[in-house]
Amino acid sequence: MVWAGPSGTRLLADMGAEVIKVESGRSWDMLRSLHFLGGTTERWWNKAAYFNHNNRNKYACTLDLQTERGRELALRLVAQSDIVVENYRADVISKLRLDYDDLRSVKPDIILVSMPSHGKTGPESHHVAYGTNVEQLAGLVSITGYPDRGPHKSPIAYGDPNAGAIAAAAALAALHHRSLTGEGQHVEVAQWEAMIGNIGEYVLGYEMDGSTGETLGNRHVSRVQGVYECATDDEWVAISVGPDAEFAALCGALGQPELARDARFADVVSRRRNHDELDAIVGAWTRGRSQDEAAHALQAAGVPAAPVLKIPRLMENEHLRARGFWESVSHADAGTWDMEGPVWRMSRTPAHVRVPPPMYGEHNTWVLRDLLGLSDAEIAELEADGVTSREPDQGVHA
Amino acid sequence: MTAPLHGVRVLDLTSGVAGPWCTKLLADYGCEVIKVERPGTGDPSRGHGRFPDGIPHRERSALFLWLNTSKRSVTLDVATSSGRALLLRLAARCDAVVHDYRPSDAARLGLTHHAFAAVNPRVVTTSVTAFGQSGPYAGWRATNIVSYAAGGQHYLSGDADREPLQNGGYQAEYQAGTWSFGATLAALWDARRTGIGQQAEVAGMEVQASILEIYLPDYAYRKSLALTTRRGNFSSAVVGIYPAADGYIGIHCMPKNWPQLLDAMDAQWMATDERFADNRARLRNDDELSAQFFIWAGGVTRREAYAHAARARAPISPVNTVADLLKSEHLNARSFFREIDHPAAGTMRYPGSPARMPATPPEPHRAPLLGEHTLEVLGELGLSARDICVLSAAGVL
Repeated sequence: MVWAGPSGTRLLADMGAEVIKVESGRSWDMLRSLHFLGGTTERWWNKAAYFNHNNRNKYACTLDLQTERGRELALRLVAQSDIVVENYRADVISKLRLDYDDLRSVKPDIILVSMPSHGKTGPESHHVAYGTNVEQLAGLVSITGYPDRGPHKSPIAYGDPNAGAIAAAAALAALHHRSLTGEGQHVEVAQWEAMIGNIGEYVLGYEMDGSTGETLGNRHVSRVQGVYECATDDEWVAISVGPDAEFAALCGALGQPELARDARFADVVSRRRNHDELDAIVGAWTRGRSQDEAAHALQAAGVPAAPVLKIPRLMENEHLRARGFWESVSHADAGTWDMEGPVWRMSRTPAHVRVPPPMYGEHNTWVLRDLLGLSDAEIAELEADGVTSREPDQGVHA
Repeated sequence: MTAPLHGVRVLDLTSGVAGPWCTKLLADYGCEVIKVERPGTGDPSRGHGRFPDGIPHRERSALFLWLNTSKRSVTLDVATSSGRALLLRLAARCDAVVHDYRPSDAARLGLTHHAFAAVNPRVVTTSVTAFGQSGPYAGWRATNIVSYAAGGQHYLSGDADREPLQNGGYQAEYQAGTWSFGATLAALWDARRTGIGQQAEVAGMEVQASILEIYLPDYAYRKSLALTTRRGNFSSAVVGIYPAADGYIGIHCMPKNWPQLLDAMDAQWMATDERFADNRARLRNDDELSAQFFIWAGGVTRREAYAHAARARAPISPVNTVADLLKSEHLNARSFFREIDHPAAGTMRYPGSPARMPATPPEPHRAPLLGEHTLEVLGELGLSARDICVLSAAGVL
């Protein structure tokens, strides 16, 4: 639930895996509550875009895993499954008696993927963390920032989708092993550990020179680069120039070919040393253009550049439109809108948004009757007993 | 016990960060990865650094050593027809080829999925670039900052009254690499079942756009601009980074964590303060709430805050430096770092693999020297020592 696990199972669901999401009235996905629609909207828990984007192509059922009947039915679902993914706190599946050994007793080759923030073992395994905490723990925040300021967060809860993408890949690797040997396993993605690799070169750098590394802001160790404001305030274009030939191309695009011979900028060392002066010259040029005009002119000349896209521009962007990135989805409660399509782009088996995001408990009947073979009377009894539900307990995430 | 992807062979035509990160993950998890490098200089990341003692050396670059563990290195000039022919012979023996060519470069070099599939119908070709293999930007040049700008994360990062801020290191590239790792495995899974390969294409711009947290989904659905601006270190008072007595700490408190947060701060009085009575009230009084956190954080060390967080089970964490990671009692108790020796760079502690697979533990080993395995790999193709000398003299290797 929340973002890490769902972002990972979304990748698998996009590829055609039949993903069944399990919630319950007292333990339902918090993302359903982040809807910004006001408290009076009918069935608002089905309308949160944050939830809906991350759970498309999945099915949803409810089972209260804290009840004996709910647990037993969950294990019957496990017996029919290849992979179970959970991102509860480290101790929850043990408390629910749904640990790897419990799952293995009903499905000997099951692959369980657990995604606790700190891992299942170690002195800090009882800590709790969200995706922002994960990047703080992992060291990324300490090397992010304006050079004249302290550490800075990512714009997103980066630890979540990072762990999700690793979990999806690890599940596929485990499937590969299972197909050769018949053996399942309990994969553990500690979200903190899964993020450290993304700054692995800083760890090795520290091993080499004992320095934790310089905070470069938008700059780079050898290239001259930055974001430059365009004709409209707070509209920016990113430009990055390395070798002499790229710099000559930049000077050409700026209409100032003589700059390439200017002693201040004649070689990579001089350019790096006189970065601020160069920034002023480039910035004066971009101020006369839109971000798209600037990026197109620079790319046409062979200079790496791109508009710094704000979200509305991203959704209008000509490149993503031409690639058919946005897909329209229709949903019984939430209506019709565009969401991002699958990002694993397969040429022979292209993926799409096939199944709209599931409403709370939408597939209860399919799961209970068609997959588990329960009678209508048993299904009604489960609902009467609160093992399944049609509406979440609204107090849980208030 | 062997790593899970043992027996899968991958031809690696990438350099820099995104592609090599993808193939490093494949290699650490057991694939046999053959990295093709440019004769003479090799992967540009060999020049990137950092270096021991600050002295450049192509076998001692931190970025290269990190991103190329567990691979074999072959030097081959793919722009020559002799080099290309050898490459296609290698591709015929591989399960996957990973490249980071723009479509124009792939076409010029004759190294497209079409060309690989002609010699190996089962082959998966993973392409990892900033802009993908089609569309108006497919020919665009990219670096990390350019990719980061186009993907939508850059604009959202930084202070509202300053320029957008890039994430530390090479995060746009790492994202493209991580997602390519999974895409490759998904395509391999399909190829194993069907006997037919395909191209698995990952565009960094799309990966980034697909993980814009609540921000893109909210705009896409409601068309509200409310969540499309830069908000510095604070999404709100309860999700932000605060200065502590000896560094910084991060707080991330969702409504259900509120009691635990107050417990950690020993601030139960706030539970009965009407300004903070429920989530809506807290958002309305965000500045006042923020002030409380500044005061509390300023009076505790990172370690103290983390201990309080542990006791109360509140989502508070220290902003760790790289030095903190290597010293971490928790990570070391879990044996996260792995000492790897390298003949030129010496022994260093490398971060462990991102997913633990107890039945099939990955066993990363050191990055290769430039061209270290050229003889071995070409020998496996059946080339004689004499042929290899001819290729070397001609500058192909």
